[in-house]
Amino acid sequence: MQQLDNAHILPLSGQDEQALAKLLQREGLRLTPGEARRMLELLGRDPTRVEATIFDTMWSEHCSYKSSRWVLKAHLPVESPRVILGPGEDAGVVRLGVHQGVEYALVIAHESHNHPSQVVPTEGAATGIGGIVRDVACMGAEVIGVLDALRFGDPDGPRAAPVREIVRGVVDGIWQYGDALGVPNLGGDVFFSPRFDENCLVNVVSLGLVRADRVVRSRVPEAASREPYVLILVGKPTDETGFGGASFASAVLEENAEGQRGHVQVPDPFLKRVLLEANRAVLEWLHHEKVAFGFKDLGAGGIACASSELAAAGGFGMDVDLDRVPASREDLPPEVLACSETQERFAMVVPERVAERVLDFYNKTYALPEVYHGARAAIVGRVRPDKHYRILKSGQPVGDALVEVITAGIEHRRAERPRATAPPAEPLPPVEDHEAFFTRMVGRPNLASREPIFRYYDTEVQGRMLIRAGEADASVLAPVPGSKLGAAITVDGNPWWVAADPYWGTAHIVAEALRNLVAVGSEPVALTDCLNFGNPEDPEVFADFVRSVRGLGDAARALGPEGPSGPPVAIVSGNVSFYNESRSGRSIEPSPIIAGLGVFDDVSVATTFGIKRAGSVLVLSGPRQDRLGASQLRHALTGKTDGPLPELDFDRERRRIHATLDAVRSGCVLAAHDLAEGGLAIAALEMALGGYEAQGIGMQIPISGLGSTRPESRLYSEAPGFLYEVAKEHLQQFLGLFERWGVDVTMTGRTLAEPRFRILDGGHTLVDLDLESVQRIHADALKPLAE
Amino acid sequence: MARVAVVQIPGVNCEYETARALEVVGLTARIVRWNEPASVWSEFDAYVIPGGFAFQDRIRAGAVAAKLPAVDRIAAEAERGKPVLGICNGAQVLVEAGLVPGLHPGRVEMALAPNRAPRREGYLCRWSWLGVTPGPGSSWYARNVRPGQVIPMPIAHGEGRFLTADPEVQERIEIENLVLYRFVAPSGGRAVRYPFDPNGATLQAAGITNRAGNILAFMPHPERATWLRQVPLELKNAWGESRRAAVGNWEALEGPGPGRILFQSLASNLLSPSAEGARPGREARS
Repeated sequence: MQQLDNAHILPLSGQDEQALAKLLQREGLRLTPGEARRMLELLGRDPTRVEATIFDTMWSEHCSYKSSRWVLKAHLPVESPRVILGPGEDAGVVRLGVHQGVEYALVIAHESHNHPSQVVPTEGAATGIGGIVRDVACMGAEVIGVLDALRFGDPDGPRAAPVREIVRGVVDGIWQYGDALGVPNLGGDVFFSPRFDENCLVNVVSLGLVRADRVVRSRVPEAASREPYVLILVGKPTDETGFGGASFASAVLEENAEGQRGHVQVPDPFLKRVLLEANRAVLEWLHHEKVAFGFKDLGAGGIACASSELAAAGGFGMDVDLDRVPASREDLPPEVLACSETQERFAMVVPERVAERVLDFYNKTYALPEVYHGARAAIVGRVRPDKHYRILKSGQPVGDALVEVITAGIEHRRAERPRATAPPAEPLPPVEDHEAFFTRMVGRPNLASREPIFRYYDTEVQGRMLIRAGEADASVLAPVPGSKLGAAITVDGNPWWVAADPYWGTAHIVAEALRNLVAVGSEPVALTDCLNFGNPEDPEVFADFVRSVRGLGDAARALGPEGPSGPPVAIVSGNVSFYNESRSGRSIEPSPIIAGLGVFDDVSVATTFGIKRAGSVLVLSGPRQDRLGASQLRHALTGKTDGPLPELDFDRERRRIHATLDAVRSGCVLAAHDLAEGGLAIAALEMALGGYEAQGIGMQIPISGLGSTRPESRLYSEAPGFLYEVAKEHLQQFLGLFERWGVDVTMTGRTLAEPRFRILDGGHTLVDLDLESVQRIHADALKPLAE
Repeated sequence: MARVAVVQIPGVNCEYETARALEVVGLTARIVRWNEPASVWSEFDAYVIPGGFAFQDRIRAGAVAAKLPAVDRIAAEAERGKPVLGICNGAQVLVEAGLVPGLHPGRVEMALAPNRAPRREGYLCRWSWLGVTPGPGSSWYARNVRPGQVIPMPIAHGEGRFLTADPEVQERIEIENLVLYRFVAPSGGRAVRYPFDPNGATLQAAGITNRAGNILAFMPHPERATWLRQVPLELKNAWGESRRAAVGNWEALEGPGPGRILFQSLASNLLSPSAEGARPGREARS
């Protein structure tokens, strides 16, 4: 073995704790002194700069899950008959169905891009989309949609100006990247709360379609033991952008985060689009030639992490030659070449005998070097039959270790301390003038129409869409051209619920995601999670995290069609984002964000929540409750978000969800809508207004006798439930179906030929508004933010 | 058999669904890369430049793509009377190439400027309503459209405002009825305000042809309205009613949507047995 060049060595051993901490800081490493010692122990010597950077990235919270892994493993169900590939690779894979003898699968990935979006909102959000799209693409899938869950600060609070700038920037980043890439936006959600003032959340989800027999794995294939394999790097020339990004994502945001801009990557949707087209041709050819290969996107830790993970996952070693890496400049230091997070790159391992052909696809057929300055595919490494992983520069190793040392991982057992029990919530003042109050609720940022934001997103490119973002509780598409197989997708999360009760709040979010899927008529088949929390070294934050994960796991097991004894709605992919806290000590509300994926055998049954005709019956399932903690009502009346959450009975909720699925599938429901933020009143209004086009059909809802004692809670309780529009001729069938599931329903109004929105309580008319005027309030409230 | 080239310029992103929409009306579509051998272009009977962000819309939308040798080849085929349809970004390419309106062929006479609407800037994705004014392009691109028919179709663009600085150009396109498709109110009347006039285009233009009528620069997306399943359930008018009535009926949902009429018009010209030598484009030139 060649000697490691002394110039590249970081002398870390023999230092005391303080000196070591200082040294690490000077080198820009975020490893703790304890972690650095562990690294020295594993290597048996001082690391090179490149090696230290690799460990720094691989052991960042973002990449290593060092605090969270055992919690996730202990509590989350990840397998079901629907699952082809669960957590562990870049994305999860779930069965869709068979069309013309070919089985298809859906690929789903879920990530956060929070810190970058806070610091440089447009680029941060755009590279979030860019990264999640690569995660799906490298499984061999065609990317068929993206979603984004956004959490912003208070747009009317003390930091309104920067908050509004971030909203605008993030929305710009999402549309500028996604629209140019040609991937439809399948929606997402937006929530405003002051605790996101200094740390916004940008979570992104991507959906892909792949033939089940063509799922590509991120590893050197076994065939590499029989013939030589090489590593091909393709895409943008490597530059210094995004160096240290994973570690940046795993630390508390600095007071003056402007100085951290260098950690944010630079997006390029144009090059990505060209790359995806070229990948399509290359993968098609490799499959056709029956060549075994491995494929991986370059994200956190750049070339070093992607290549070592490809090697380790296959049980091989690798030599990576940095001199052969196409770079933007000649003078980039080896650790930057090896670890920068330059966007729009992929890595592929193929047999040496086909390498030139693969390079030709990229460099000649799709002419990368002509289309984009410096872009190309190049052979940059070679698979080794032993398990040595080496990085070479000018013929000298600048990194040399066994792959299992690099990918050994690290674990921290964090302390937990449950928060002190909150004092009982103060009772709510009564609402005096219901109509005026309702009008105010309709225009509140968390309840107003998302249309002003959604209009920037291309929701229809690729031509697969049946139900667009905003028209129903979930977006619906027919992924396989010519086939009636369908998919539905939603993303949900309510930070106030989780702050009030991490376990039940998270369980409520899972239930809401499943309600959204069945409301359009799809069968829930998988979930993904992105768990956004504060500093895990704070025992209270970590206790919140553990409780939230338990709630997630329990709900996913309990709400499958047969309950806890049957298969769960498996969690197939996810991400943990800690350190969502600014230097000033403000931590975000604990924010698990859950995406739900549903499928249809026949997508034609899918329906929206908009009212379809006058003279139909409105039916409610899910009794209203007086427990109004963390509700939009409580916040509107008191400015607080404390108090007890509505009860969630898993078994009742399961039956309600699956009865609804049966009802929509059998066609006896014209419209179905999940009850969530803002309760019955807001859900009913959204049905009357439709997604974007009101039909001019009004409704009248008597609310007496809906299970709670006060009109406020009947109107605004966020207890789980649905509101359905049922045609009179289907009412008996509908009621019979719910009876068989043992689910109580209450007829609670009707739709009207006149465009009025009316709520009655006993003999009183609480609300009686002209639909058009209330629509204007609902549709326009977010305009000043988005425009 | 009529063969259509769907031109894949780097950054274009609607080529697959556009090809499917052409196939469903009986045409044979092939996605042709911009850098394929020069000889390939003459093999086709028609050309569609689909939507997207060709060359990242550097300089201006469509400006870089308009300078490609492939676009020159297509222009030469158009000169021989073959039809060329540019959709969205493709429309921007045709205008930047001086093919539309092409009063003085090769001269850039119009621009597709950033959308202008009160309090609404930037990219806009929504359904709009279109009406047809008969003109030289009717035969190629609006053959089966009834007078007064209102056709819903989605738009998705940031720069869709047809604009010219030259009063003479404006006068000519008006007098010669080169604005084949325009945005209208759902009733079919003139679109006087947002959102019916979604981008502030001159004469509410949504699609403008050349004088021969064989080249159409069309901003909406007919390929996103070619199947009934693509129509929003909440759309008003008869298309919305058909869509709502088709819930639970896959065969009906796979049937035609409002945008198919444009591709059908193209197909009925290309496939009609008498078309050879008597295509409307050639008539107009003779």
